[in-house]
Amino acid sequence: MNANHPAVQVRQLSKNYGSVQALKSVDLSIAAGEYFVLLGPSGGGKTTLLRTIGGFHKPSSGQVWLNGQEVSHLPPDKRPTAMVFQAYALFPHMTVLGNVGYGLSLAKLPKAEVLDKSLAMLEMVGLKGYEDRRPNELSGGQQQRVQLARALVLDRNILLLDEPLAALDAQLRKDMCLELKHLQEKVGITFIHVTHNQEEAMTVADRIALIANGELVEHGPARAIYRTPERRFTASFVGENNLLSGSVSAVEGETVTVPVCGQPLTVDRRGLPVRVGETVALSVRSELVEMVPADGAEPVDGLSLAGTYTESVYLGLTQSHRVALADGTEVVSRVVGESDAPDPTPGTAVRVRWKPGALRLHMN
Amino acid sequence: MNDYANIWLHRAKWAYLLLVVTTLMSPVFYVMYISFNENGFGAAQYVFTTRWYGLIFSDAQLMNALRWTLWLAAVTAIFTIPMALLAAKFYKATRAKVPVVFLLLAPLFVAPDILSAALLVFFKNLNFTFRWLGDQVGVAFMDGWGQLGFTTAVIGLIIYTMPYAFVVILITMGRYNKEQTEAARACGATGWRAFWDIEFPQIRAGVFSACAFTVILCFNEYTRTSLLKGGFDTFTTVLVSQMLNEGMSEQSYAMSSFVSFVAIALIGGIIIFTLLRSEAAARRAQPVAEPGTRSTAAV
Amino acid sequence: MTAPTDIGLDGLPPVEPYRPTLRDRLSGWAFWIPIVFMVLFFALPMALTVVFSVFERTMFWMEPGFSLLAYENFFFSARLENFLASMGYSLISVVVSFCLGFPIAVFVRKSVPQAAQHRVVLLFILPFMVSEIIRIFALRPVLQRNGLVNETLLNLGLIDEPITALLYTHTGVIIGEVLSFMPFIVFAGFLAMEAVPKFIFEVCDDLGAGPVRRFTDVILPLAAPGIFAGAVFIFVNGIGVALIPNIMGGPGAVNAGLIATQAITALDFPLAMAVSAIMMATLMGLLYIGHRLFDLTKILAPMN
Repeated sequence: MNANHPAVQVRQLSKNYGSVQALKSVDLSIAAGEYFVLLGPSGGGKTTLLRTIGGFHKPSSGQVWLNGQEVSHLPPDKRPTAMVFQAYALFPHMTVLGNVGYGLSLAKLPKAEVLDKSLAMLEMVGLKGYEDRRPNELSGGQQQRVQLARALVLDRNILLLDEPLAALDAQLRKDMCLELKHLQEKVGITFIHVTHNQEEAMTVADRIALIANGELVEHGPARAIYRTPERRFTASFVGENNLLSGSVSAVEGETVTVPVCGQPLTVDRRGLPVRVGETVALSVRSELVEMVPADGAEPVDGLSLAGTYTESVYLGLTQSHRVALADGTEVVSRVVGESDAPDPTPGTAVRVRWKPGALRLHMN
Repeated sequence: MNDYANIWLHRAKWAYLLLVVTTLMSPVFYVMYISFNENGFGAAQYVFTTRWYGLIFSDAQLMNALRWTLWLAAVTAIFTIPMALLAAKFYKATRAKVPVVFLLLAPLFVAPDILSAALLVFFKNLNFTFRWLGDQVGVAFMDGWGQLGFTTAVIGLIIYTMPYAFVVILITMGRYNKEQTEAARACGATGWRAFWDIEFPQIRAGVFSACAFTVILCFNEYTRTSLLKGGFDTFTTVLVSQMLNEGMSEQSYAMSSFVSFVAIALIGGIIIFTLLRSEAAARRAQPVAEPGTRSTAAV
Repeated sequence: MTAPTDIGLDGLPPVEPYRPTLRDRLSGWAFWIPIVFMVLFFALPMALTVVFSVFERTMFWMEPGFSLLAYENFFFSARLENFLASMGYSLISVVVSFCLGFPIAVFVRKSVPQAAQHRVVLLFILPFMVSEIIRIFALRPVLQRNGLVNETLLNLGLIDEPITALLYTHTGVIIGEVLSFMPFIVFAGFLAMEAVPKFIFEVCDDLGAGPVRRFTDVILPLAAPGIFAGAVFIFVNGIGVALIPNIMGGPGAVNAGLIATQAITALDFPLAMAVSAIMMATLMGLLYIGHRLFDLTKILAPMN
């Protein structure tokens, strides 16, 4: 494997089903040995993209390059990829050992070698002793481990995972998530993992790509996607952001002023080419918003808004205070930790405020 | 069935169902009953005998016809089943589902006599065309093409049985999970290997049912075979021509019963076999470990 | 939008449009075999019946030409009356079969445990597995003057004289058709009932809908495509299978199938073709009407 080549490259990849465009000219590059996550809403195209990389869909236009070779029209059995599916993909008429060794026996390896490798891989995924079981005798988590063993034993350098944890319940998902990360670090190959679950994505990923409406919206490490989203869509999908919009009223150097609900807000321009009069979006994470009682005088610092308190939602770790602005837009302030202070009565005038730099500007 | 339902009404409905099945089968059972009677139909005394069956097996013409029938059924099945498999896969993959299913199921809706008449004329005209072509070009090898005989009978039977095989196989495939084929391909199997190693073992039961179905249908078929077979006799055509010409002789009763026995045995066998198999599978599947509980082995 | 340079796509050759290779084209050809076969040996011959029906009749065969004699022979003779009459009797058979058989399909779907449903329906395959010819023939010793039915009724003292109306009459034809084809209404009804979800019965109980309302307002509309398909099957086979009126009917009982078979025996092939063409047209007409009324593609839903 040539270290100069990215493991996976997708160029201007489009996939159409009749008049429906599942993928619209996607460009993507994934490095060797990376744990890469395709995150996005259901029906957004992330699974289509994964399956096209795997060879289960033929591109309508564009190319797929794996390990520096063009493979766009090769069938799955001819590509250097292995795949783990969401559920029901184990062969029910074979034992666990038969399942794991299937790919090796297809490659016509000697039986002894197939046996050794299969057993070793089963041990690596923590299923030693389960060789003679049948798939219908295994739990959901165990079945996914067998799938992993079956895929990894093939010794290919790209593993595709199509929502592998979606069929598991919440606690099991969390445990297996971390195990997947450790497994990838141990084996060292490229993992491409599709999910719609943010927590899962951030636990495992080196880099995340947000795919929605058939397009690559944004990509980067988890921290960047969460804290410093570039696009409005990213801010709306990842984390719990408050989204506001308004028309730019002034641009001075690196500071942009956007009035919201009649109150001017200042935000860092981040080098974006905004002009006065343009409609822009603003986002601020709910955990960076503080709700304080209104004290009558309105400070014109561009870092707060006036509103009325609606309700609070207690979620154990966090408590969300919901505030309605004058035009009905809702702003949420999330507070971590215990507080015994009583909630205000609904309808109380309050202010929501944040520190400089917390508000982010997005162009349309 | 909920707890408030009237148990007697339920039993009455079951009784009606079984009554209908019995009524439908009763003429056949009655014929079987007669076939064992020494004195034939309508006789005052009933004497049990298997004499009439013996007569069947000693009749050379009949045995020959039986051989032809088995041969016809086997060859038809050999062609129909793979074609039905291909058609089922084609149907699942294509977006033009309606024309495909219409074409494959249409023979069900065309009465056998009409279908055979159309095929008969088609083949004869085809034969004439080939002969004419042969005369024009000066070759003789085409003279036999389209002539009524074994091949034309087989073609007619394939058209007849294809819808049934198609539906049975399609329904069986419906229970198969496509992701397993994809997983097999991801492991390195070609499309054919994925089918043979993974899909076929799971749809095997349905395919064999379709096979048995096809064989029985061919065995019992009369109209299309008689019109399309040309010179040779099949078991059913001999039976029917006897019945039409001489009325039902004792031997006819025995022959009818023989055919019925075979069919019932086959289908009854399939029902019982699938019943036993599903019960065995239910017994073998152990309960899955509760999520969240930790055993000494990994979850 | 992330530019291509951000993600390391420099230095690769430009993207060209895809041209399929010969191998790609050929790999899927095998799947066309059944389609080609059915078109060649089913669709084509059936379409050609129209062509052949206007050929001229000769002593032993026919000659290419254009003559409407066959149609004249059909329409301006007793054959037409018989054809229409047989359609009427077939219709009666359909209705009787439906009334007797469809409730069974509803019952199986509603009250039999899911796993056993297919097996119960298989019971109705049993009569079908026995050659329909034999089943028809087997009705003779049952329905005859001195047959099983009459003997039993006489012995039970329910009648004084044997009923002769059961055989060699139109009633006999109807009995033959119903008994031959009722399993199909059970199958078709069962498949049609797959379109009716099981919870419907509980919902109807909840809402206080009685069995009649439930049938007319819920079951019938949902199951209509499948029922229609089953009905068409019985109807078409009723007017098409020559042996039923031949054996069960009295003198002069004919249906289209018998007319066609007799025509072939008399070596009047254009007439046989004309009858076939008319039957095809009838079938197409029925299916078209059904499709407009019910959208027959819904029958396919359980099989997808």
